[in-house]
Amino acid sequence: MSRSIPRPYSLLAEVTYRCPLHCPYCSNPTQFSTSGSELTSNEWKRVLEEAAELGALHVGFSGGEPLQRPDLAELVAASRAAGLYSNLITSAIGLSHTRATELKGAGLDSVQISFQSDEEPLADTIAGTRSHANKLEAARLVRDLGFPLTINVVLHRGNIGRVAQIVALAETLGAERLELANTQFYGWAFQNRAALLPTRAQMEVATEVALAAKNRLLGKMEILFVAPDYYGTRPKPCMNGWGNRHLTVNPVGDVLPCPTAGGIKSLRFENVRGKPLRWIWTESESFNRFRGTEWMPEPCHSCEFREIDFGGCRCQAALLTGDAATTDPACSLSPFREQLTEFVESIQGTTGGTFGADTSRVAYRENPV
Amino acid sequence: MSPILPGERPKLSSRARLQTDKVTGKPILLYPEGILILNPTAHAIVTHCTGDETLEEVVAKLAAQYGASPEELRPDVIVCLDRFRSLNLLEVLA
Repeated sequence: MSRSIPRPYSLLAEVTYRCPLHCPYCSNPTQFSTSGSELTSNEWKRVLEEAAELGALHVGFSGGEPLQRPDLAELVAASRAAGLYSNLITSAIGLSHTRATELKGAGLDSVQISFQSDEEPLADTIAGTRSHANKLEAARLVRDLGFPLTINVVLHRGNIGRVAQIVALAETLGAERLELANTQFYGWAFQNRAALLPTRAQMEVATEVALAAKNRLLGKMEILFVAPDYYGTRPKPCMNGWGNRHLTVNPVGDVLPCPTAGGIKSLRFENVRGKPLRWIWTESESFNRFRGTEWMPEPCHSCEFREIDFGGCRCQAALLTGDAATTDPACSLSPFREQLTEFVESIQGTTGGTFGADTSRVAYRENPV
Repeated sequence: MSPILPGERPKLSSRARLQTDKVTGKPILLYPEGILILNPTAHAIVTHCTGDETLEEVVAKLAAQYGASPEELRPDVIVCLDRFRSLNLLEVLA
């Protein structure tokens, strides 16, 4: 590996975009064709081995719903053999006793279950399908089988008022980690952002509740709270830098620096069917385009935070400015910040209904064709 | 999080996996969403976190191993164990 190229620490294996849930906050692409072209078991096994060879230590099996792949246990076993710590990132739909036992036997290390809320009617409304009761059952099963359990709840205007109750649910279920992550506005979520972005008042209350719970549960349950970057002044250090620590392989084998990078239309991403993973990580144009700090425009290039937040998120820059090479508008120094602030101000005072006043405008996630 | 007592037995959580990093040859702890690269001392401490030995026994064994006194080592061992605990990587058994 050449001297200036870092090693990846984690691989996100998005084994399918198919999903039984229809969450409007999903960051999957809104238009994507995977028909007949998802990677095969053997192709995934090669990807897992090559990622471990490159230095990756973690693999997250995600999607879509990874349990939609009947060969998941086979892929988990291949990860284990390659020395990867594996995490199943699931809606829990399809996580039967048989399936969970099979995954345990294959060497799966941990399970992350998404919940939409702490209570059934709201949770099922958000998911666009009945699923909450299944999730509760699956979470108990996961603990009974001795897996470490992470609960992940994507927060938005419709459920952010439930943070205290969500923490209580996670405690009841014996979760060792709770992720309270505000919606990131990509894919379906970007389409729905006017209905999803919490108000400033909601966000402030939730932040306080989450922080208090984090302190109270220190050493028992790890709590991660991610505030919406639309309210920040500094952008998020997205993926800890482009092509720096992480790679994603999507269902058809495209290799991406992050799960949503496929939305950047000015870049052409390589595919594992055409090139070895090592070459893609170290040599490809797409992985090198935003590596380091040389590519940066002002105000990033001379900014004292350039090695801290890396200019923010390239996907967000592309979505909000039309150019992936600009400063992330979540930064107060971005020339586009004002437009983002206008949007943020436009939703203040919205209340009522699951997704605020905009319920009728919510587009539920659909499956790829 | 109350301080670990001399008679309590530290046990590495089942959510953590200790292994050797292929790239650097260093000992590492892997756990959900995290990686800890262990220095030799932390590595030595972790190998004693089996749930069978009390804190005092761990300190005594490490003292013998490093040719130091238990009094010298104890604070460092406790700092290290507290770090693991705050990351929810350690159980403390009575």
